[in-house]
Amino acid sequence: MKVRLLLFFAMLSTLALAQRRITGTVNDVQGSPLLGASVFEKGNTSNGTITDINGAFEINVPAKTKTLIVSYTGFTTLEVDVPAGSLPMLIALQESSLVLDELLVIGYGSTSKRNLTDNVVKLGTKDISNIAVSNFQSTISGKAAGVRINQTNGKVDGGINIRIRGTSSISAGSEPLYVLDGMPVINVNESNNGAPMNPLLSLSPSEIESIDILKDASSAAIYGARGANGVVLITTKKGKAGNTNVSLNISTGVSSPTHLVEWLNASEYKELFTEAAINSFGEEDGKAEAEGAFDFLSNGTDWQNGAVDTDWNKIAFRDGSQSDIDLSVSGGDLKTQYYFGGALNKTKGILVGNDLKRMSARMNVKHQLNSKVSAGMNLGISKTIIDRVDNDNSFTSPLQSIAQSPLSPAYNDDGSPNANTLYANFLLEDLYASYTTNLRRITGKIFAEYNFTEKFKFNSDLGYDMSDQTEDQYRGTQTPFMSTNGYAYNSSAKSENYIWSNYFTYKNDISDNTNFTVVAGQEFNNSDRLFNSVTGTQFPSDNFTTISSAAEITAGKGDNSRYNFLSYFGRATLNLKDKYFVKASIRRDGSSRFGSNQRYGIFPAVSLGWLVSEESFLKDNSTISFLKIRGSYGQLGNSEIGNFASRTLYNGVSYNKISGIVLTQPGNNDLTWEKSRQLDLGIEFGILKDRLSGEIDFYKKDTDGLLFKVPLPGSSGQTVFNKNIGTLESKGIEIVLNSKNLSSGYTRWSTSVNLANNNNKITSLPNNNADIIVGENINQVGQAVSSFYLVEFAGADPANGDALYYKDGLGSETTNDYSEANRVIAGNPQPTWIAGLTNEVSYKGIALTFTFVGEWGASIYNGGGVYQSSNADFFDNQDKEQLNRWQKAGDITNVPQARLYGQNGTAQSTRYLQKADFIRLRNIMLSYDLPQSITNKIKLGSARLYISGVNLLTFTSYTGYDPEARADASGYGFDNGWNFYSAPQAKTTSVGLNVNF
Amino acid sequence: MKTRNLSLYIALLMFCSCESRLDVEPTLSISDEVALKSPENVKKLLIGTYEINGDAYSYGGYLQIFSDLLGYDNYVSWNGTFSEPREALTKNMFSNNSLIQEIWNNLFKVVSQSNLVLDHLDVFVDDAERSVVEGEARFLRAMNYFDLVRMFGTEVNGVPIRQTAVTDFGGILEIKRNSTAEVYAFIQDDIAKAISLLPEENGEFADKYAALALQARVNLYVGKFAEARDAANAVIEQGGNVLSPSFADAFNLDVDGAEDIFMMQVTSQSGENQLIQMYASEENGGRGGDISINQEFLDIFDDDNDERKHFYYENPAANLLSSKYTNQFGNVPIFRLAEMLLIRAETNIRLNTFIGSAPLDDVNALRQRSNAAPLPTVTLEDVLWERQRELAFEGFAIYDLKRTQSSVQGLPYNSPKLVLPIPRSEMDANPLMEQNEGY
Repeated sequence: MKVRLLLFFAMLSTLALAQRRITGTVNDVQGSPLLGASVFEKGNTSNGTITDINGAFEINVPAKTKTLIVSYTGFTTLEVDVPAGSLPMLIALQESSLVLDELLVIGYGSTSKRNLTDNVVKLGTKDISNIAVSNFQSTISGKAAGVRINQTNGKVDGGINIRIRGTSSISAGSEPLYVLDGMPVINVNESNNGAPMNPLLSLSPSEIESIDILKDASSAAIYGARGANGVVLITTKKGKAGNTNVSLNISTGVSSPTHLVEWLNASEYKELFTEAAINSFGEEDGKAEAEGAFDFLSNGTDWQNGAVDTDWNKIAFRDGSQSDIDLSVSGGDLKTQYYFGGALNKTKGILVGNDLKRMSARMNVKHQLNSKVSAGMNLGISKTIIDRVDNDNSFTSPLQSIAQSPLSPAYNDDGSPNANTLYANFLLEDLYASYTTNLRRITGKIFAEYNFTEKFKFNSDLGYDMSDQTEDQYRGTQTPFMSTNGYAYNSSAKSENYIWSNYFTYKNDISDNTNFTVVAGQEFNNSDRLFNSVTGTQFPSDNFTTISSAAEITAGKGDNSRYNFLSYFGRATLNLKDKYFVKASIRRDGSSRFGSNQRYGIFPAVSLGWLVSEESFLKDNSTISFLKIRGSYGQLGNSEIGNFASRTLYNGVSYNKISGIVLTQPGNNDLTWEKSRQLDLGIEFGILKDRLSGEIDFYKKDTDGLLFKVPLPGSSGQTVFNKNIGTLESKGIEIVLNSKNLSSGYTRWSTSVNLANNNNKITSLPNNNADIIVGENINQVGQAVSSFYLVEFAGADPANGDALYYKDGLGSETTNDYSEANRVIAGNPQPTWIAGLTNEVSYKGIALTFTFVGEWGASIYNGGGVYQSSNADFFDNQDKEQLNRWQKAGDITNVPQARLYGQNGTAQSTRYLQKADFIRLRNIMLSYDLPQSITNKIKLGSARLYISGVNLLTFTSYTGYDPEARADASGYGFDNGWNFYSAPQAKTTSVGLNVNF
Repeated sequence: MKTRNLSLYIALLMFCSCESRLDVEPTLSISDEVALKSPENVKKLLIGTYEINGDAYSYGGYLQIFSDLLGYDNYVSWNGTFSEPREALTKNMFSNNSLIQEIWNNLFKVVSQSNLVLDHLDVFVDDAERSVVEGEARFLRAMNYFDLVRMFGTEVNGVPIRQTAVTDFGGILEIKRNSTAEVYAFIQDDIAKAISLLPEENGEFADKYAALALQARVNLYVGKFAEARDAANAVIEQGGNVLSPSFADAFNLDVDGAEDIFMMQVTSQSGENQLIQMYASEENGGRGGDISINQEFLDIFDDDNDERKHFYYENPAANLLSSKYTNQFGNVPIFRLAEMLLIRAETNIRLNTFIGSAPLDDVNALRQRSNAAPLPTVTLEDVLWERQRELAFEGFAIYDLKRTQSSVQGLPYNSPKLVLPIPRSEMDANPLMEQNEGY
């Protein structure tokens, strides 16, 4: 039977007298049937049905029924009159224009875009699915205004950095709070190889239904002390009442680096280094020095005649690949809805030795017990296995091999890696060592809702999140720097988080278009972390690789730590005549992370909205179809400073196997969270029946009590001190424009642009606004956070080839004495403008979608420049630009004279700083939906073939590997804009097939 | 109705407070109140001070490495990629040299934790126990101040003296440099007290003879030769150390050897030996030979049979690596009897005295141990050469040059280029700090 009646009482009602049976079909305006549209009897929400795969429905209604209500997600709900005759009804639903009525998840509830007074971005499955990346965060890059999403670099496991409306902190965490199905999830990097790993790799993009990003204070304030960096709400897929839907997606693709830097080949290398040695030591000694080095580097090969010319780029990189399979089954009736699915991802990274495999499964079930009680459970489990390579600051990281000389063979004649290279040959590490990370994750929750009355309900959600990460390293006897007959390291980091939230919701419809809702609740969050590791050396042979075989255990670690949050929250929203909206919320958070004096914080917020287009003077305006003005103001906190940052801490140490204690952290009892106050003013509009719609927001965020690791003079005995001091102002504009360029017949073309500006400025600092300088970065009042603070490089002295520096910044007098040159503000590690552009073009079943992202204003400091671009200061291979070195008086160039060991221009300066502006084709997809005539024949619901690409095109003047690659080694990194032998992102092309049964 | 009441009841129950759960104590660490209140913990704080003292950035190796790279012209080559040590060898250092910053910070960290111990001596009820703890803390403080002032100080401008530990790190931490004379007075006072407080025997920790050895070294450096001689003589005659049977036996030891007066302890589980990192082959636990020996060094030996001349091995790149550092987890020698003999010989010659022994005997004792022909007579010059042969790569180079007013790479002994810059991080955070000339 094709058509099923889903409600028991609906069936009962068929027994009643004076019933009539209505049949019909629900289509979209193009005539495509809509599966799962709801059809209800008006005035009796318990009598309804949903359409089948052909859009057909059948419903029994009392004879007196005049109207049916037909609704479908993403379409405007329609009331249709029941026809007098018995002919089947043909109902066409119009796509809702501004997705105004789509539900937005806002934390402890949801609202519609129409009524929203905050700044929230919603991204759906079409933004997330079929993009060949292994983490869900990267899928939405460029699709939300003011949300910058970058993977640290091109390793498959690379850490993810999300900055919502720029950086609002200096020392504390800048990552947003992630909330999965209402529950804050563990997002702690547990990597032990020095490079951060994305802890949310465990989540497959295919499990996600939607991502809502809370950007302004009013929306995020419901998350209080944890909301200052914005909140990312992830909602997993749920079953929909209707026919069982089986969905299968298979895709496979190949990847390669986005860009490679070119290095000197063997003959260029010989030429440059011979010249450099002669310049430093004279003709005879210089030649001898260079040739001595070449003899060693070439490892017995005939370098004089170019026997070897190794391109280390080719050794470090390889063709990567990515394969995905995901299968899900979902469906249900009006009482019970279920979704279960599994996904497999296999990614072969572009760096040799870097692989990822993920298996994940999810089950979400919800059941309506009776008219008052509903309950359900979500459960996601996954296992991710990652073969990892060393962090960027390690000699054995693949990309550091580009420092090797092209004269050095990568392999010996017998195929084994050549051990006699300038630096350790990473191939030895690749072959004889392994570093495997296993990440196991369970996220689940059970939830229940009790409706006291139609207006008053109670929700209780109990969530559990467990992340279990083990790391197993073995380094065999043949690995570089091996002196202990093998080395093994095992670690286990287990974090458990449970959250219990309970809240009441009262909703009262005062009249047809006026209502108010009040939410009040409490939440308790307990997070425990247990860490153990053990290190062993002296193995019998490389056949024994587990720690039990180690003859000597050289280190063992164990730690458990905990933090708790106890929170109370409340929110009231008022909708007055569907025109005026008011929302106020408050949250009180207590956290164990702060000293007892400063343990509690109160975070209030208020927002207002005015739907101007509902006013009589605009209501029938033919041009302006939608106009809303809104504003919000609120206070948020940032508590990401570690668990015991306020305490004076003494740690245990060992000296000659005797225990001792050491002061490791000076305490500060007044330490508390950073507080930020944020104002957001926005306007939303639709013109010409929403052909053109958009949003413009202005925001200003003031953070005070900045959590600072204040650098101390070393002469005090300590180097940093945690302190709440300093203020930061961050402001910007966000513009979103959506345009339906074409919508006629089968042809559709829409464009969505977002453009966001963020300027942050430090407004006060500790110690009477004293500058805080860390390495090449400075925090200075009036400047952006972590601005680059460097001596300006002035190129080569045309007279003698000396490196010149500006004494006081660009344009000032130059000097060849570095110590005479003063540092100046030379750039910003964060972009000031970011943008995204998405186009969707379709004709019949063929669709093309592509998204460009762009960033402007950021600079990158190449920490490896001192070795790679040093006009042959040492035997590291040099970039080709170094061939433009100064050679004779009168040469005008930016590359000083080559002087071996001469340190001519290698001091830290703007020589190694570059603008990182870029525009990148983040993803593109061309798809073809098989026509229904064919799918019907082969008994499929729908079938889609697609080709998709990630990072296929990049437009930039940046000459390093990738404007989106930053160093992952500790002490470098994303927020200070460092690159250090960091891998470029992967560009991936894949083909896929998507079938629904 | 029943369910409804029950639900309400449960709901209200859930709202009950659990605020006491916000008291979470760290399990890995202890607080001030615990650390500084008992004799046991203050003693553990002292042991922790040794641990910091043995950090790679100070006596774990970098102090010695910087002294030698700065003091050598062509005895060694720097083959490593790091530019920071190379800056020392080329005598072209920058104030943002991160190793120099770490050396400065770590030396002061020892000063600070020694001060913390000294500030809490009143927890001890046992006088003998307190004396030893005080003596060790003063020894460590003096040792670190000595290296601070001779590395970062000029002839007149010293380093800031902190007599007590900073407790309020949120307070004012700005501090001026004391004069070099003031710093030396402070060091001498600490050493004198340490000598009187420390016992004759103290296991692997500093004893009276370690303090005397430090006194000998400091006084030799500042030209108080009689004091240096007497201290060295006291160590030689009363300290109970004898020369190891062979030169090779004096190095790469897992426990203190016959001639070791004081060592920084290293095991496979604790301690750091940075000398191994920089001098040893990969096989021996190093980075492959960042510092290698040149022919010019071998040329300073006057007898080809001298074992010290052949105390090297080759790495795969055919560089010569010192055999002084081949045990990855070997202790780092700080005071060896050989140094005391050389100090006694030198000061006896300078003062024209024969305290303890004839200078010729002291020098020949070392030569004979290494199979080098004994000298017939000995001059000051001979002793200084002997120091170079015996104590190479142990961190003496720049200080011997400076105190004998010799030049290196054409730079006079008092060139600003041979004084380490005050680290930029200190300059940035301490407005009262004055930078050395030329940085």
